[in-house]
Amino acid sequence: MKATTCLLALAALGVWACDFNITDPNNPGPIGLDPSRAEVADHVIGVILAARSDAADWILDAGILGREAYRFDGSDPRFISEFLNGPLDPGGGAFGGDHWIEEYNAILSANQLLDVIGTASRLTTAEQDATRGVVKTLKAYAFVMVLMGHEEDSIPIDVDRPIGAPPAPFVSNAAAFAYVSALLDSADTHLAAGGTALPFALPPGFTGFDDVAGFRRFNRAVKAAVEVYRGSLGCGATCYTTAKTLLESGATFIDTSATANLAVGVYFDYSTNPGDAPNPLFQNPQTGENFVNPRIKDSAETKATTGLDDRFTSKTVLRDTVTTENLTSYLGWVRYPATTAQIPFIKNEELILLRAEANNALTFPVLAANDVNYIRVKSGGLAPIAGLGAQTQAQILGAILHERMYSLLYEGHRWFDLRRTGRLGPYLKDRATDAVFPTLPIPLDEVLARK
Amino acid sequence: MVHRTLLVCAGLLFGGTLAAQQRPITGKVTGSLDGKPVAGATVAVVGTARLAATNASGEYTVSAPAGPVTLSIRAVGYKRKLVNVTGDQGSADVTLEADVFNLDAIVVTGQATGVEQRNLANAVSTVRFEDLNRAPTGTLEGALQGKIPGALIQSNSGAPGGGVQINLRGVSTINASVDPLIVVDGIIISNDAIGNNLNAITAAAAGGNASNQDNPVNRIADLNPADIDKIEVLKGASAASIYGAQAANGVIIISTRRGQAGAPQFRMTQRLGEFHVIHVLKSRVFRDSVEADSVYGSKAQTYCRPTCPYFDNISPLWDRHPLSSETDLSVSGGSDQTRYFVSGLVKRDGGIAPGTGYDKQAARVNLDQQLGSRWTLNFQTQAIHSLSHRGISNNDNSGTSPYLVFPLTPSFVDLRPTGSKITSYPDNPFERSNPLQTYAFLRNDEDVWRILATATLAWQPVASDRQTLRFTFTGGLDNFTQRNDIFSPPDLEFEPNDGLPGTVVLGKTQNTNVNLLGNAVYTLTPPSRAYRATTSLGVQYFDKSLNFTNLVGRNLPPGQSNIDQATSIAVNQDVQPVRDLAMFGQEEVLGLDERLLLTVGARAERTSRNGNVKRFFLYPKAAASYRFTDFGGAAGDELKVRAAWGQTGNQPNFGNKFTPGATGTIGGLFGSSAGFTAGAANIKPERQTELEAGVDATLANGRLNVNLTGYTRTVSDLILVQTPAPSSGRAASVFNGGRLRGRGIEVAAGYVVTQTPTVSWLVHATFTKTTSKVLELPVPAFQVGGFGTSLGAFQVEVGKSATQIVGNDSLGRVVQVGDGTPDFQLSLANDLTYGRLGLSFLWDWKHGGDVINLTELLFDLFRNSEDWATGGRQRRALFFKGETQPYVQDASYLKLREATLSYHLPASAVHQLFGDRVRNATVSLSGRNLIRITKFRGIDPEVSNFGNQAIARNIDVAPFPPSRSVFFSIDLDF
Repeated sequence: MKATTCLLALAALGVWACDFNITDPNNPGPIGLDPSRAEVADHVIGVILAARSDAADWILDAGILGREAYRFDGSDPRFISEFLNGPLDPGGGAFGGDHWIEEYNAILSANQLLDVIGTASRLTTAEQDATRGVVKTLKAYAFVMVLMGHEEDSIPIDVDRPIGAPPAPFVSNAAAFAYVSALLDSADTHLAAGGTALPFALPPGFTGFDDVAGFRRFNRAVKAAVEVYRGSLGCGATCYTTAKTLLESGATFIDTSATANLAVGVYFDYSTNPGDAPNPLFQNPQTGENFVNPRIKDSAETKATTGLDDRFTSKTVLRDTVTTENLTSYLGWVRYPATTAQIPFIKNEELILLRAEANNALTFPVLAANDVNYIRVKSGGLAPIAGLGAQTQAQILGAILHERMYSLLYEGHRWFDLRRTGRLGPYLKDRATDAVFPTLPIPLDEVLARK
Repeated sequence: MVHRTLLVCAGLLFGGTLAAQQRPITGKVTGSLDGKPVAGATVAVVGTARLAATNASGEYTVSAPAGPVTLSIRAVGYKRKLVNVTGDQGSADVTLEADVFNLDAIVVTGQATGVEQRNLANAVSTVRFEDLNRAPTGTLEGALQGKIPGALIQSNSGAPGGGVQINLRGVSTINASVDPLIVVDGIIISNDAIGNNLNAITAAAAGGNASNQDNPVNRIADLNPADIDKIEVLKGASAASIYGAQAANGVIIISTRRGQAGAPQFRMTQRLGEFHVIHVLKSRVFRDSVEADSVYGSKAQTYCRPTCPYFDNISPLWDRHPLSSETDLSVSGGSDQTRYFVSGLVKRDGGIAPGTGYDKQAARVNLDQQLGSRWTLNFQTQAIHSLSHRGISNNDNSGTSPYLVFPLTPSFVDLRPTGSKITSYPDNPFERSNPLQTYAFLRNDEDVWRILATATLAWQPVASDRQTLRFTFTGGLDNFTQRNDIFSPPDLEFEPNDGLPGTVVLGKTQNTNVNLLGNAVYTLTPPSRAYRATTSLGVQYFDKSLNFTNLVGRNLPPGQSNIDQATSIAVNQDVQPVRDLAMFGQEEVLGLDERLLLTVGARAERTSRNGNVKRFFLYPKAAASYRFTDFGGAAGDELKVRAAWGQTGNQPNFGNKFTPGATGTIGGLFGSSAGFTAGAANIKPERQTELEAGVDATLANGRLNVNLTGYTRTVSDLILVQTPAPSSGRAASVFNGGRLRGRGIEVAAGYVVTQTPTVSWLVHATFTKTTSKVLELPVPAFQVGGFGTSLGAFQVEVGKSATQIVGNDSLGRVVQVGDGTPDFQLSLANDLTYGRLGLSFLWDWKHGGDVINLTELLFDLFRNSEDWATGGRQRRALFFKGETQPYVQDASYLKLREATLSYHLPASAVHQLFGDRVRNATVSLSGRNLIRITKFRGIDPEVSNFGNQAIARNIDVAPFPPSRSVFFSIDLDF
């Protein structure tokens, strides 16, 4: 019918012109090719946000597993039943199955940016390199977080794959650590070619490290930490030497001068501003669900003057005794005293103790003892240990770990430190029925995806 | 070229009216049974476009061409009649016979075509004005309960103002849209259910976004049942195919009332009534301090010394019954050229709880204008305002929803106020809130303004004995703004708990649906009259834009409800623009002396929700029916066999194709990272293929009518979510896959027990049975609702019913413990008249179908159930052995949905009471849900904590209790 055709044509005329390609009006999509400077900046911050997303949760969970903390939570008994008693449940993504996908989401965010940064025509080659260096460093940090929680030699590293592709093969922890170490070097090489200023702003937690030179010092510090970890996990002298070299060369921000600030370092920021997150570890220390494991007080040393280790007294506070499930605590946390309290990535105080650990392993006991005593005096208000440099290597390591315990209290290190130095054991049990776990299981979905 | 096309088009559009000699034919149409005039009957001159309608006295005048003609007279409720009028005859009176089963009524078969019920090849159910308005209803969906075979219509809660799920033929999807498409006067209107974000107070869902536990109202509730002429229900793909990828859950086609030529006819209905709670759960009675101490320890000691006092804190909360009223007024009339129908509604349903209720005002204007002999213009417009106050109910995590507070509150505590101030209410020493205080002072208002407007221009350039051609162009608009105002004053007991006393939620949602529809229908009847072929073609454009914004302000100074005063403000916006374009065509052939009907059709549709927005997806259909009139039965008996096959889609959810980034700020810098959900850039609609077959029979001299239908349907390309290896950085990835099957049987039967001028008794019954099975699932079995296996959860699993409920047994195994789908549904309606008295009642029986009763679990858990000694203790013991079974309960029910006793006043009484202007007056007493019989131990077996759900609806968590209503009504015609 001519008329029909006519009318349909008329009716359709206006309609056909409509654009059916509706882009997501609610959220940004993945970063595309040739990103603008602003897009690059947004996605660098995005990687930091993704890396931050698990930081506080890790500190709480690793704190319970490493016997720094308790959580007496009426609505969720698993903080006690699963973490102290077991078994660790690899399903569900919480508790046993946790501390995995958030890190890999940060790695995905980093990979998405790395995949397109070379096409960013608004950035100079140097700026592209600077961006690569920053993002690869953050990506390496996310892998370190995965490795701190898992030691079952089942770590996917080749994860930059499209959705639906077969999952990345598992590699051993040692191989994964080697990959992270190389990734940090690659990042450093990019930064070395990255000019002077970064092409984006970084949050306040990066103050002092927010230009290329500063960020390189952060990168080298992470590298040093990774090398010490590797050293203790079997790599031995080779890795310790790399760490020692880095920490003695001025490549990092280690500082033991008289005016040194032990807190200098890189931090995650928190706030109650729109879109931001408050630090979830901040609680009213008298009423919150999070408690200090009393063994932290039991092993705290007394200062030469009076009172306990400054690091203990500044991070914990007495509260009413609470007993539940035969666990008792009378201490609350003030380590993070506000919703805006920062959580450290890495700080000068840790670098000094890392150097001590490398020197001790490489049989420079006096150098190690000097750093330990420096921290004891400066950070704890304690007396130096006389004759520490003459003690055995194992004794000095014990002293280093003791200082790490208080210097890095409630910062997510203790459990991993005990594991990598072989010091996890039944002595950590609060109740006879408890278990001490060396690792979190690989999440069930990760295993199922390979079947 | 374009110019020429336009000129040709313009010529076709506005050109040539045929000039022919005309003559008037007049007459009167009456009913055969009572001899009363039939108003609104259509008188058509066969083979022409000429039409007339009878006035209130049954009289008509139609202009016919010279020479002998045939008139076709048709009226709702009467059999069609053909009358031959000779060339010199100027009048023809007609008597129409009652068509109790509406076999001659035209039923929709496409977007612009219809066929008589007796030929229909699909099981399309029709509900008419008089069936809808027999007993007053809160919202329209309630008036459909028990009237449509194949439909399970259940209230999500008892809160006033709607929130009802209409499910047609069981499970049709897992993750995509669950609601039928609603078409009013040809345009697709919104049936969105937009959450009010009461979640800001209940914290029912973690996170700040609007949750589906907010007891939302789906917006079909706005329609006024008194405006509706008829509702046709296309239940599955075989009938609904012509509506394409929005029709997987069926289509509800609503036609509003039209004016009739003649002097203005007024109709007024005034109703007055009340609502009463049907059922509440109560707390345990504690005898003495020994009993009380065993549960509450030393905390009970100040109350029970040694005997415990008893206070029923629960019943007073649901014990209001303010006067409810409804006023409907309509006027219709007009000339042959112009007909109008104008109506107004003012309605107030008083809620059973303090501060709750539902107000609605609506006005409608429908106009039909004849523009010359070949053009008609129909114009429908409606403005609606509704305001509901729905209180606070359903799940919470903040100790605020009454039935999550009562289980923890022993009956020896008195929660009643000493005065009317907010401070006159005692604090609840055993839970975070006093529900009596909460209901008295928490405001939860939903204010909706809505405009529906449709215009249809029809042009019939060809109308002859042999062929007709008709074009219709419809443009329609559905625009509503929903405002949600929630105010929880800082002085409420629970408010300071989050450290930010006082909460105000401001929600504003704007939705606009724009519809454009063009149709061409061509009918051809060859000279031999061997068949009639109807060809229709159409194009449809649909544009929907939904914009949801929500502000939550916390920490308010006393007495302030302005969000300006809040110190903490969270903002959320969600925008959902959708565009669809479809073309469709259908060929219908009625032949073999109107015994055989064959239909084939197809719709091609593309939508912006698909991954590939350019691709047209094809939805074909085919149907056939054959009528046997001489199979050995009595005169008038006939038997029809029919079969229909068709496909529909179910569009991807908005956003399924996107992979949204996660955003946030740190140190004041904005950041965007990879989100946890990967969308599918190639997402496409789910596809439903349905085969339906049935037998319709009219037996016993036309007194018995039975429709028997069976169907089987498969839904493939389901929108599913899989869990990729988490090392991919994603927790979920959307894709098309899997297959599920639905099967069912539907029966509709009607029987005329007796029908004389003084006595009539009609019985209608419906029967429905549906089953479903998951055939293929390319992901491991997963749970779609509930609160984990131990509390009972709906689990989608290959080889199992899609609505199976799993739980733990005493050995810790995960086993099936129930199924949400009923074994069957049966309804029985009786309609009796004796002289001036009328009595009608409708029973609705659902047999089987389980509900997860978590409200009872809470009472048991806190050792506070009313039947603690005789039941609660044992249930709790079983639950603590790990068994879920005690709380997955049979939710069968038998409800007297409607009962109406009416009296048609005699003329003398009408005259005395109302004067001579009033022609008819009827008084009636009617009730809804007057009787409820159920074994279910929760508050209501129809409940759904999560609102409208594809699968996981039957979950009872602290709902708003249901109510029954009783109304006295008076109807006046003048």
